[in-house]
Amino acid sequence: MEDKKIRTKQLLKNMVKNENPVPLYSKKALDRIKKDFEDLKNRYSAPDSKMSWSVTPYTILGSEIPREMLYTPLHLSDLDYGFDIGFPGSEPFTRGIHPNMYRGKKFTIRQINGFGGPEDTNQRIKYMLEHGGTGISVIYDLPTTQMYDSDDPLSKGQVGMSGVAIDSADDMEILFKGVPIDKITISLVTHYPSNTAILFPMYLAAAERRGLPIDQLRGSVQNDITLEEVVRSGPEYIPPKDCFRIQCDNIEFIKNNVPYFNFNTLNGYNLHEFGTSGVTEMAVAVSNAIESLNEMIERGYEVDWVAERLAFFWSISSDFFEEVARIRAVRRLWYKIMKYRFEAKSSRAMWMRCHVQTSGISLVREEPLNNLIRAAIQALSAVFGGVQSLHVDSYDEAYSVPTEEAALLSLRTQQIIQEETAVTEVVDPLGGSFYVEALTSDIENRILDEIDEIEKVGGYVASIEKGWIHNRIANYFYREKELIDKGEIKFVGSNVFKSEDKKPSIEVFRYPRGVEDRQKAKLEKLRMTRDNEKVQYALNALENACVRNINLVPYSLECARVGCSVGEIFKIFKKSFGLWKPPVFW
Amino acid sequence: MRELIVHGGKMADRKIKLLLSKLGLDVHNRGVITVARILRDAGMEVIYLGNALPAEILSIAVQEHVDVVGVSSLGGAHLTLGKDLIDGAEKEGLKSKVVFIVGGVFSIEDEEKLKEMGFDGVFTAGVTRDEIVSSIKNLVLARKV
Repeated sequence: MEDKKIRTKQLLKNMVKNENPVPLYSKKALDRIKKDFEDLKNRYSAPDSKMSWSVTPYTILGSEIPREMLYTPLHLSDLDYGFDIGFPGSEPFTRGIHPNMYRGKKFTIRQINGFGGPEDTNQRIKYMLEHGGTGISVIYDLPTTQMYDSDDPLSKGQVGMSGVAIDSADDMEILFKGVPIDKITISLVTHYPSNTAILFPMYLAAAERRGLPIDQLRGSVQNDITLEEVVRSGPEYIPPKDCFRIQCDNIEFIKNNVPYFNFNTLNGYNLHEFGTSGVTEMAVAVSNAIESLNEMIERGYEVDWVAERLAFFWSISSDFFEEVARIRAVRRLWYKIMKYRFEAKSSRAMWMRCHVQTSGISLVREEPLNNLIRAAIQALSAVFGGVQSLHVDSYDEAYSVPTEEAALLSLRTQQIIQEETAVTEVVDPLGGSFYVEALTSDIENRILDEIDEIEKVGGYVASIEKGWIHNRIANYFYREKELIDKGEIKFVGSNVFKSEDKKPSIEVFRYPRGVEDRQKAKLEKLRMTRDNEKVQYALNALENACVRNINLVPYSLECARVGCSVGEIFKIFKKSFGLWKPPVFW
Repeated sequence: MRELIVHGGKMADRKIKLLLSKLGLDVHNRGVITVARILRDAGMEVIYLGNALPAEILSIAVQEHVDVVGVSSLGGAHLTLGKDLIDGAEKEGLKSKVVFIVGGVFSIEDEEKLKEMGFDGVFTAGVTRDEIVSSIKNLVLARKV
C-alpha cells in the first residue's frame, strides 16, 4: 500500500536536473591539485599511519557524520554556483531566504518566558521588551500544556511550574496586558495540536476584548503532532489520526482568519533534544510538513497559499559546522521539495523560515557558567546558518527555570553577536567554504534518506502509530547515554577536566508563591460569574464539530469567548476521539 | 522477602523489582526511560508506570511488592509531589520497606531538601549508568539485610 504513495527521494532524483551544468572549478584546476591532495591523504591512510584521514565526531545530539581532515575543491568537483548555491533570496536559497539577510532585518531576539501565573509572566515579558527583546515566546505550565485546569486533582503542586498557568481567556488577557501584541510578533509555544486548538482561541478572544482585529495579529503557534504523540509523557493521549486532523484544522482556521500568523511551527527542537540526531530532527519535521501540505491540498487549498505560513523550529547543538551546514542543507532541500514535489510558484512558499534555540540538553550542572560559552557558540553557528529568530538558553537551566539575571545574559549574548561582532554584515559568510559546502550536501542527502525511510513506513502519521519513530528515538538516546558515560561525548567540567567544585554556588530561580491558590480562586469566580448555559451550549457545539469532522477551531473560539476553561475543552476532545496508548519504547 | 537475600550481603537469584514513574504531569521522560532500560539491562525487573500521582504510585508499589520506587521530575514539582509521595509512604508503612529514589532537574538546595524529606537516593543529570546501578543495589541491600 505504501508503495503507491509518492516517495520524495525518488521524485527529486527524477526531477531535479541541472540542464546546463557549469562547474565552478575547471577540470584543469582540479587536476592540478589532485596529486598533492592524494599524496597528503595517502600518508594518513597508510597502514602504518597512526592518524586517520576520516574521523567521526561524537558530540551531544550529533549525527556522527565522518569528517575528512581537509576539504578542497575536489570535494566540490560538480558544484555549480548558480544551481547549488546561488544568491541569497533566490533559488535554491542555500545562502538565505532574503537577498540582504541581516542587513535588512536582524534575526529576532525572541527569548522564551513563562512561570507562575499570567500576572508574573506579564512582568517578565515587559522586562525582556524593556531590555531590547524584539519578539516574545510564551511557554505554558505543565497543567496548561497537558490541558488540565489548575484546580484539577492532577495539577496539584504543579501550577505555574516550567511555564505560565492559563485556565481561560481571562488569564490570556492578563498575560498580555500592556504588551503591544498588535505591534510585535508573539510566539505562543502551544506545543500540541490539541492545546493549540484550545489556547490560541483564548489568545484571540483576549485580543478581541482589547478591540484588536484578529486578522492583523502576527506571530506563531507550534501545533505539532510530534510534540503531542511522540515527544511527550502524559497521562492521556488522543489517537494520532485525530491529533493530525486537529493540526490541520488549526492550519486551516488560522490561515483563513489570522493570515499573518504562522499556523504550524514544525518543531524539530523538542524531538532533537529528546534524543535524535540532527539529521533525524529535520527528516521528521519535513515529513510532517509534507503530510500536512498533502492534507491541506486534499481539503482544497492551493499549496502556495498554505506553505507561505509554514515555519520550522530547530535545536542548535554543539557540533559547530554540522549545525551551520544543517540549516543550509534543509533550506535547500525544502526549496526542492516545494518546487518539485508540490510545484509551488511563489518564492515565499519555498522558504525554510526558522526559529532556533540553543540546546538545553547540552547544558551541564558542573561549573554552570561554562554554559554561557556553550550557548554563545551554538548561537553563533545558528547565525552563520542564517536563521530568522533565536533563543539562547540560560546558563542556570540545568538547575531550574532561568533567573531574571540569567535570562538577561541570554538576551545580551544575542545583542553582543548583533552589535559587536559584525557577523551580521555579510550574508552567508561560510558559504563557499569547501568544507561547509561539502557537509551541506552530505547532510542534505542524509535528511532525504531518512525522509525516504519514513515514507517507506507509510508516512509520518503511520510511523507514529507503528511506534517506529518512538523506537528510533529510544535507541538513539540510550546509545548516547553510553557514549557520555564512556567519555566519548565530552562535557568539560563533567566527564572530562572534571570539576573539583561539585556544588557550585548558584542563585537559582524560585517560583512565586501562591500561584495555585490564585488560579483556583480565579477559576471558581469564573465558573460562578460566566453564563453557564452559554458554556454548555458552546461545549456541545464543539463536541458536534469534533464528531462530525467539521473544523473544530471556530467552536473552540466560541468556547473561549464564553469562558470555558482549558480542561473543559480538553474533556470534549477526549470524549469525542477516545484515548490512545502510545507505544512502549524502552 | 527477607529469605531471598543471601547472607553476607550478596543478592540471591531474586531480581530487584522497581516501579518507575513520571511524577504528576511532567512531560520530560527521556531520563526515566533511559534509567528504566539501564536497570532492565542490569538484570532488574522494571515496571514503568508513565505519568502518575503519588497515591497511584504507592498503591501499585504495594500491589507489586516492589523493592524500589523511583520517580522522575524535571518540571519543578519535585518538592510538592515528592513530599506527598514520602508522606503517603510513611502513612502506608512502606517507607521502611521500600527504597525511594528521585531523579530530575533540581537546585543543589532542593537536592538536600529531597534527602531530608526522606528520599534514599537523589539523582541529577550527569550520573552514570554504573553509579545508578550500584547505588540502587546498595540501597536495596542496606534495606533488606
